Amino acid sequence: MIPIAKKIRVLIAKPGLDGHDRGAKVVARALRDAGMEVIYTGLRQTPEDIVEAAIQEDVDAIGLSCLSGAHMTLFPEVVKLLKKRKSGDILVAGGGIIPEEDVPKLKKAGIKVVFGPGTPLRDIVAFFETAGKGA
Amino acid sequence: MREAVPARKGAAHDSVSDLVDDLLAGNKRAAAKLISLIEDDEPEATDALARIFPHTGRAHVVGFTGPPGVGKSSLINRLVRKYRSRDRKVGVVAVDPTSPYTGGAVLGDRIRMADTGVDPGVFIRSMATRGHAGGLALATFDAVRVLDALGMDIVFVETVGAGQSEVEIATRAHTTVVVEMPMTGDAVQTMKAGILEIGDVYVVNKADLGNEDVLVANLKFQLTARDGWIPSVIRTAATEGRGIDELADALDRHAAYLDQTGFRAKREVARARLEILENAQRLLSRRVANRSRMGRAFDALAEDVAARRLDPHAAARKLLWPTRPREK
Ligand SMILES: Nc1nc2c(ncn2[C@@H]2O[C@H](COP(=O)(O)OP(=O)(O)OP(=O)(O)O)[C@@H](O)[C@H]2O)c(=O)[nH]1
Ligand SMILES: [Mg+2]
Repeated sequence: MIPIAKKIRVLIAKPGLDGHDRGAKVVARALRDAGMEVIYTGLRQTPEDIVEAAIQEDVDAIGLSCLSGAHMTLFPEVVKLLKKRKSGDILVAGGGIIPEEDVPKLKKAGIKVVFGPGTPLRDIVAFFETAGKGA
Repeated sequence: MREAVPARKGAAHDSVSDLVDDLLAGNKRAAAKLISLIEDDEPEATDALARIFPHTGRAHVVGFTGPPGVGKSSLINRLVRKYRSRDRKVGVVAVDPTSPYTGGAVLGDRIRMADTGVDPGVFIRSMATRGHAGGLALATFDAVRVLDALGMDIVFVETVGAGQSEVEIATRAHTTVVVEMPMTGDAVQTMKAGILEIGDVYVVNKADLGNEDVLVANLKFQLTARDGWIPSVIRTAATEGRGIDELADALDRHAAYLDQTGFRAKREVARARLEILENAQRLLSRRVANRSRMGRAFDALAEDVAARRLDPHAAARKLLWPTRPREK
């Protein structure tokens, strides 16, 4: 096999205190199966941890999954910290149990896209593919 | 196989010389961008490496190998904290396999290294093998160089822990750590062939599960000196943090031994030989794939061999020495 150069790199992270990472793992595997390199950081990460990891791993995008209900503080915090670290070019997507009325607020706070429960994996993969291509 | 994607946006805006300046000033974002440039084999990578190289050679490089799930990441996590408490800056490059079917990878070593958080004296990079055989990625040791230039005092490299990784890591690292764990029941406690020759430090991890004495005794009985150094055997329980002081001490003792005996310099030369050869092979492969004069000669030679006008060995010599066909 010839070594392959250039890969889309995505960080999948779970901010907040809930311990459910099945969804995050399913997404991680789907992205891998689409040929991406997925850095999975595990449970209970602070926004600071996530941004630090994203910078060190030089990812194209971050997928945040949160089921605890704290997405309105945690997701925008990640975007804010990225900008502070001159890494506002890293795209942020959010997923989890997110009420419809929160979506516009999250988008205004810089979350590129919000995936609710039941979003087809195909759509999620497509988002990260465009993110990696610099769209 | 997927088509190539363009360079990450951030990297495109920064010039290599700015990135290297920032790297030398201790900027982590610059370090990460430079590693990507090299890993993605961008045209600027050669220039970047040439600029970085003079600022390397200070970090002590420790390679970790051992079967999947034995506790390499957990041990590194503990060691990172130990070395931080000793006021040393620590880099980590952790390699996981690329799927040969999709070209993708899930890089999970960071899960076990979450304790370090945002410590400014720590830099962790996950890396996929991207088809490179041997439990390492092609760019692994160039990434180590970036972390060296970033000012890390010690850099840990975690291999995939399968296949031939043992051999390759042992030729690259200053200190090679082989991690094993006790087997339960009546399983014979023997080592994979070759594993006894490559370690400078052997770790019997998961000592909390019991049954570790047989393995420790077995190792101590079978191990022989490498470069005059009799490998240490250390018992650890990474999840409880047991044996980590002893392990860090063993790593430091080995580093001091390499310095005192001159074996560090010897290992550097051995590694340089390997790296020159590897790069020469890569350049050659690239040249023959090009529409260069050599590429055209290569195509013609291939036709000759296929038509049985020339044997492959003679063709290889002719490719390398077109004017002196008899040279070996
Ligand atoms: N009981 C026990 N479990 C441990 C110990 N060290 C690690 N583990 C567990 O073993 C599993 C694998 O640990 P890792 O540190 O990820 O092992 P690894 O060698 O890095 O694994 P790969 O990177 O997948 O090859 C995890 O569930 C750890 O919690 C130990 O000392 N005792
Ligand atoms: Mg690991």
